[in-house]
Amino acid sequence: MGLREKLTNNRFFKSIYREGYPDTDRKRVLVIINSLALHLHPVRIPKKALKVSYTWGLGGLSIWMFVILTITGVFLMFYYIPSVKDAWWSIININTNVYFGAFMRNMHRWAAHAMVILVLLHMTRVFYTGSYKPPREFNWVLGVVLLTVTFLLSFTGYLLPWDQLAYWAITVGAEMGGSTPLIGKQINVALLGGYQIGQSTLIRWYTLHVIFLPLTLIVLVSMHFWRVRKDGNISTPVYPAPVEATAGSPADGDGAPEPSDEAAEEASGEAEEQAES
Amino acid sequence: MARVMQHEEEEKVIEDPGERVHVWPHLVSIELVGALIYLLALSLMSIFIRAPLVDLANPEVTPNPAKAPWYFLGLQELLLHMHPALAGVIVPGAVLILLAAIPYIDRTRAGTGIWFSTPKGLPITKFSAVYTAVWVVGLVLLDEYLPAGEGAHGISPLLELYGFPPAVGDIFVPLVFMTFIPWSLAVIVKRRWNANTREIIIALYTFFLASFVVLTIIGTAFRGHSMQLMWPWEIGAPEGLMER
Ligand code: HEM
Repeated sequence: MGLREKLTNNRFFKSIYREGYPDTDRKRVLVIINSLALHLHPVRIPKKALKVSYTWGLGGLSIWMFVILTITGVFLMFYYIPSVKDAWWSIININTNVYFGAFMRNMHRWAAHAMVILVLLHMTRVFYTGSYKPPREFNWVLGVVLLTVTFLLSFTGYLLPWDQLAYWAITVGAEMGGSTPLIGKQINVALLGGYQIGQSTLIRWYTLHVIFLPLTLIVLVSMHFWRVRKDGNISTPVYPAPVEATAGSPADGDGAPEPSDEAAEEASGEAEEQAES
Repeated sequence: MARVMQHEEEEKVIEDPGERVHVWPHLVSIELVGALIYLLALSLMSIFIRAPLVDLANPEVTPNPAKAPWYFLGLQELLLHMHPALAGVIVPGAVLILLAAIPYIDRTRAGTGIWFSTPKGLPITKFSAVYTAVWVVGLVLLDEYLPAGEGAHGISPLLELYGFPPAVGDIFVPLVFMTFIPWSLAVIVKRRWNANTREIIIALYTFFLASFVVLTIIGTAFRGHSMQLMWPWEIGAPEGLMER
């Protein structure tokens, strides 16, 4: 019995994954639809969607950053104190006294920067591959909202260490918000929880950072993933039909029109590329 | 209602999803490898590079320069050149709304799922990036160094010197540039490449992306004391950076 057999062909493993190791097509289907995490995926996808140079995995990596941020963030919450008097000292404590404290804080910071960059790159990938086109219009709109929430998550976190960088970055940000025409004053007060940055600002941004915005992101990402599936999964190539075909033969049914020269050329180029890899 | 729908012409396209494969193991294994590589890279980074922490917040001491986090430094750069309501609220608000509107302006399906959609897409992207970068860098330099009498510099001070009200330099002129650059880009791309809607939208998105990148780099690496332009090595670390 091989090692994989030993690990997967026993009562305990099979109590979790009823079908054992997915080594037949039937089991490859079942492993996806029976698992909560994996069933976000379709069972089968076009080979084209698999090419790393098509999506660069950027959406998946964005959510992976969010998972890492949640884990390291909960760890930081054990030690961080959201009070003007103690916040900075609690960060010093995390950096110097807490086991793995500095590591977790660093990881939280670097993953946060990575997430902003990855989400921007993911949007750019979706744009340049034309993946916002029908029927995916609304998922693009959801994406723009997700981008905004990602910025807000990062920005609300920036205040929490209560050091000079944080304090003055928030000063700059709140002044920008305060310059809104007509309702600037109100926005400023809403952002700061008063007329100047202080305890009410800190507790407000802390609450947004650890509860409200993450929950919002989870709800929106769920809708985003749901729509990816409902919109026919990841986009695959769509070529313009050649002009003759549009000239109105009423039934083009299965005798599908041939791709135009250009499209055909590109398609065959792609096939060659795949054969190479 | 249904009648109207019938009149709308259906776009004729050829879809080419190609061969299908099982997600297990083909996709799941790629995802696992990607996740592990990122976890490893982040772990190494977290072992060797510290997240910055500076002195305790002090409302009495304003650091110079006082900067927002990097992804807002593009906006903070705009703030140096125009009215704060424009730079801080109206421009970012308009950008988000226009981004969200893209799929409702470019409504054809052809070109989905293909990098740059058409053979013209990549050349248009490259041209738009260079065109935008030249404009943005040029305007930033102009606003920094244009003499405006008595040691002052910039477009707005110069206009005020000639008796224009501040709103002209702070609101009108920036609005003119911010519409002229993308508009002229669209016109050039349309003439030179005979571009369709998708290709023009590619030019305009590239205008947005290149502006964001160039302004962010300038704001992060080329703005130092008193937010003056300088070389990255002249800027130095933030004041009061903690050793541990
Ligand atoms: C927290 C932020 C986000 C997460 C976690 C996320 C996640 C994902 C994932 C996992 C996919 C599957 C394909 C892929 O990985 O590329 C996807 C697809 C998609 N995303 Fe996002 N996304 C985010 C933000 C955005 C943004 C900012 C936009 C655009 C403004 C966007 C628009 C789309 C669209 C249109 C698709 C379908 C793409 C296709 O069919 O090829 N998403 N997203």
